[in-house]
Formats: sequence, structure tokens, C-alpha cells
Amino acid sequence: MSPTRMASEHRWIYIGAIVLLVAMLVVGLLTYTQQHATNESYRKAQQLSDELVAAGYRAVPDQDQIAKTLGTGGGAVCENPAGALQNALWKVNLANGAAGPGQRPVVADARTVEAEAIVLNVYCPDKLEDFRHKLDDLDTAKTVNT
Amino acid sequence: MSAMDVPAEGGRSVSRAPAVQQAVAAPRMTWLTLALMTTSSVASLRAAPTMAVYGLACVFLYLVPAIVFLLPTALVSAELASGWTGGVYNWVAQGLSKPLGFLAVWCQFAMTIFYYPSLLAYVASTIAYVIDPALANSGLYTAVVITVLYWTGVWVSARGTGAVAGLASWGLVIGTLVPGTLLVVLGLVFLGQGNPSAAPMNASHFFPAWTGLASLVLIVNNFLSYSGMEMNAVHVSSLNDPPREFPKSMFLAMGLVLLIFILPALAISWVVPADQLSLTAGVMQAFDAFFQYFDIGWLTPVIAVGLVAASLGGMLTWLAGPSKGLLLISRQEGYLPPFLQKLNAHGVQQNILVTQGVVTTGIALMYAFIPSVSSAYWIFSVITTQVYLIMYLLMFLAAIRLRRNQPEHPRGYHAPALVTLCVTGFLASAAAMVIGFVPSSQFSGGSVWSYVLIVGGGLLLLGLIIPFTFLKTRKPSWRQPDAGAAAPEGRAA
Repeated sequence: MSPTRMASEHRWIYIGAIVLLVAMLVVGLLTYTQQHATNESYRKAQQLSDELVAAGYRAVPDQDQIAKTLGTGGGAVCENPAGALQNALWKVNLANGAAGPGQRPVVADARTVEAEAIVLNVYCPDKLEDFRHKLDDLDTAKTVNT
Repeated sequence: MSAMDVPAEGGRSVSRAPAVQQAVAAPRMTWLTLALMTTSSVASLRAAPTMAVYGLACVFLYLVPAIVFLLPTALVSAELASGWTGGVYNWVAQGLSKPLGFLAVWCQFAMTIFYYPSLLAYVASTIAYVIDPALANSGLYTAVVITVLYWTGVWVSARGTGAVAGLASWGLVIGTLVPGTLLVVLGLVFLGQGNPSAAPMNASHFFPAWTGLASLVLIVNNFLSYSGMEMNAVHVSSLNDPPREFPKSMFLAMGLVLLIFILPALAISWVVPADQLSLTAGVMQAFDAFFQYFDIGWLTPVIAVGLVAASLGGMLTWLAGPSKGLLLISRQEGYLPPFLQKLNAHGVQQNILVTQGVVTTGIALMYAFIPSVSSAYWIFSVITTQVYLIMYLLMFLAAIRLRRNQPEHPRGYHAPALVTLCVTGFLASAAAMVIGFVPSSQFSGGSVWSYVLIVGGGLLLLGLIIPFTFLKTRKPSWRQPDAGAAAPEGRAA
């Protein structure tokens, strides 16, 4: 293939990639639903803070930040947390600091994974039991220096 | 160095010797592009929220592996690539033996087969996060995204290294460097406003908590964060002046990888408390929490697109690299059947890519539709990283042998204290391999020995039995007579 034809083909590949990413960006900006900070979301944020403190977590997140991230329904954290594919990604992500093929599981920090159960208890208690089963299947240790 | 210095039998040096051109025009590549490709293969922001949980200790968790693994890997491969073309297969073939050269590049290639489905499943979940989080649990959606993106990647890779290099470089810029800089600037603004860091930033928090084996597993497994630094050396002959330019590209990549891993993770740990990071549903919700502090939550989908671009760019480099190395040695020595050695009009190993694609698609479909497969998928990342470590062990041994046996062979760059570097890298790789047999969190309830048996069995099958079957069944007629001189796409040196 001539260099000219190759360059032309590559140009179309670049244009295709740009169009695809811009389309994803537009769709993402239009469809992404931010959690709204309502009275109810602040009430839940306060409840979550109280439960985290009660469980011994020292650095409790900012109320505003919780309300806007988790809203009233927990957002993505409550989206079928024990589902097979979510479970698979969750397990793969309990890993080292690699971002490429060097990603490999580690012994996860106990409090890191248990905090999610507290969130589920506040935002979607109906999902907690399945998640608890998932946690029960996990061996953890204390690896985060708090 | 002149053409007279070129060793026979595949021991091609990377001098500016008269080139034996293939029918295909050789794409040129700048050292900067190669540095960006290398960075794209190894680093992205994907791991930042995970490591931010460790606060200041994330610096320790990246620096120690950088000293014992990144530095040896980068400097040793810089020396080897400045002296020999073809990447790891040729280094090991020259330093140890040709079958071991095949084994090295096979290990680099085989481990990617299981990497793509999990990488693309992560991409699918990132897209789902901004469109509809419920999609992340749909097997059909996940299967379609994995399959379409993977085969698009194969198609792009089959158009030649030029396209891969451009897309990977831009993917890194828009998906990692720009968002990473944004995270760090926002983190500094946060501190500049007088806010205390969410994670303690004092000397006593520089080290992770020490609880014996679990902490050792964390530290040693982090060595693998830097795996892949050597992979793009297979494209060294596309540089104008490989002996000078490859080391430059490797040093830049090393600096970028360190910055990308450490600074954004630190920035997130300043703004988002570990307790909030831990309660997030994956990487995207952590970024969401970060941006919500600054009331710029709308940036969440923007960073999602960036992460997707960076992941796909990284995937392209992995598609183009190891398969090319596998092709080069297979053509020279006839290690693979002729069908797998065929090139397309762009001089690309299309049939290897397609065969790999068929296997990957099968695995991806099982991942998407069979819960028991997806649930156990994490074990493949243990097995494949073990397989990959075989390549590192061979590479460090080969480097020592080449320095001893071919001291006069021209090299554009001489790594300082090469033997010390190789011994350090070898011991780090061996330690990572041993630690790979320690059960991780996900293997609760099972016996240690069954874990060892699964990981050891997988390592034996993928890393030894399959490549030795290829070696055993090869035929003399499978050798390509011109393969020793011609390097697909790149200028043969």
C-alpha cells in the first residue's frame, strides 16, 4: 500500500475516533444524571455520617460531598451491588496499583470494603443481605494506615 | 556502526546499516511517540482512586517498586533495545537461546488474551456509569461493548503501527495527561484554600500499615504496576536513530509513568476521605465525589470519556506489540504454522491478531454470560501475571549474558551497574512470582494448596505446556527464508 493511501486511511481512522469520542461525550453530558442535593439527600448524608462514626470511622466525609455523590438512592453504589458482573468488576478491582495487565488481586483492607455495607444499609437496605454474603466470602486485613 | 557489524542469524543490531526493505513502506516514529505509547501501555488514572485509599503511603507503594522493578526494567530494556532490534524475543534469543526467546515473547503475548476482556468490561462499566448504571449488570450490553471495541481495535491494529501509535498517544494525552493535570491542579487549589488534607500527610503515614503477609502481598504485588515498560521495544526499528532515541523515550516514559501513578492518587486523597473512597462503587464514583467538592460534577462524564480513550489507546499498544514480536521469531525459526505467519498488505500479523481475537471473544462471551466465569475471572489476572513474570526472569538473565558474551556488540546506551540492576530486577520478579501463590482476598474459604494448585496449574499450562507444544510440533518448512532480514513495517537494521 502506498504511503499516501496509508496516510489517508489513517486520517479516516483518526476522524472516526474523534467522532466516536465526541459522540460519547455528548451522550454522556446529556444522559448523566447528577445526584441532587435535596433535604432528603442531606438527611441521608447525616445518617451515613452518624453510622460511619458509630462504626469507628474517623475521617467522615463532607456532608455536601456525600449528598451530591450519593443523593437519596445511593446512585451507582446501589445498582445491583451483588450482581454477577458488578461482583466480577468489584473483585478485579480489589487489586494492586497497576492500571495495565499487571493488575493483580491483593489482600484488601477490611474497613475499606466494610464501609460499602454501611452505605447500602443507609441507602438501599434491601440490597444489604446479598452484599453481606459477598463480604463474607472475602478474606481481609488491615493494610491502610489510618 | 556499519553493515559489517550486523551479527548473523537474527542478531541484528539497531545501527543505521543498509536496510533490507520490505514491500511495505516503513512507518517512522518519533522517540516522543514511542514514549507516549509506552506510557499508555502501562499507566492510566484507572488505579488512582484505588491507591488514594492508602493516602501518603501510595507514594511508598509506588516508589519502592519503582526502585526495584521499574528502574531495572526500563534501564535494562533501554540498553538491550539500543543494541538489538525486535524486542524481548531477540534479546532472549541472543542471550539465552532461541526456544527461550520464543517462550519469552509467548509469555508476553499469552497473558494479554485474558487481559482484554477485563479491561473492556471496565470500559463498558465506565460508559454505563454515565449513561445508565443499570447497564453494567447486563450481560448482553457487556458482551456487545467488549466484542465491538475489541474487533475495532484489531481492525485498527491491522492498519499498521502508525495508526496505533497516533491513537495511543492521543488517548494518553486526552485521557490521562489532561485529566491527571486537572486532578492535581484541583487538589492544589483545595490545599491552597486552606483546607486540611483529608488523608494525613505526615511522616508516620508514609508507610502502609504493617500486618505481616497481607502488607507484603500489597507491596510486592505493586511491582507489577510497572509491567509492560519493555513491550514497545519491538517497534524500535521504526525510530530514526534507535541507539540514541530509544533510551530517551524510555526515560521520558519512566518519568511520566511515575507522575501519572503518584500525583493524581495523592490529589484525590487530599480531597476525598478514604472512607468515602471506600464506599464508592468503583472508580467513577470516586471521581464523581472528587468533582462534587468543587461543584463541577458535570466533569464526571468528561473524565469517563477520557478514561475510555486512554484504556482503548493502551489496548491498541498491547494488540500491536507482543503479537509482532511473536511473528518475528516465528518467521525466523518456524515456530508457528504458516497460516499464523501471514502478513496483510500493511505488513501486519493479521492472522495472529484474528486468531487471538477469536479466543478472546470466546472468553469475553463466557465472562459476560456465565456468572461462574465472571465471578472467578480475577484468578486469571493472577495466572497471567505469573506467566508474564517468566518473561522478566528471562529478560534479566539474557541481559547479563549479553553483556558478558557480547561486550563489544555496539549499544547506543550502556545501563550503569547492569548486573546489579538485573539481579535486583530478577529478585523482584521472583518475589512477585512467589507472592502470586499467596491467596488474595477473593479466595476466601478455600485451602491454600488448592489455590497453589490452580495458579500453578494455570502457569504450567499457559506458560510452559502450550509454548513447548508449539516448539515440539514445528516443522522446518515453516521457516520464512527472508524473515531473518525483513522486519515487518519497521526498517530492518
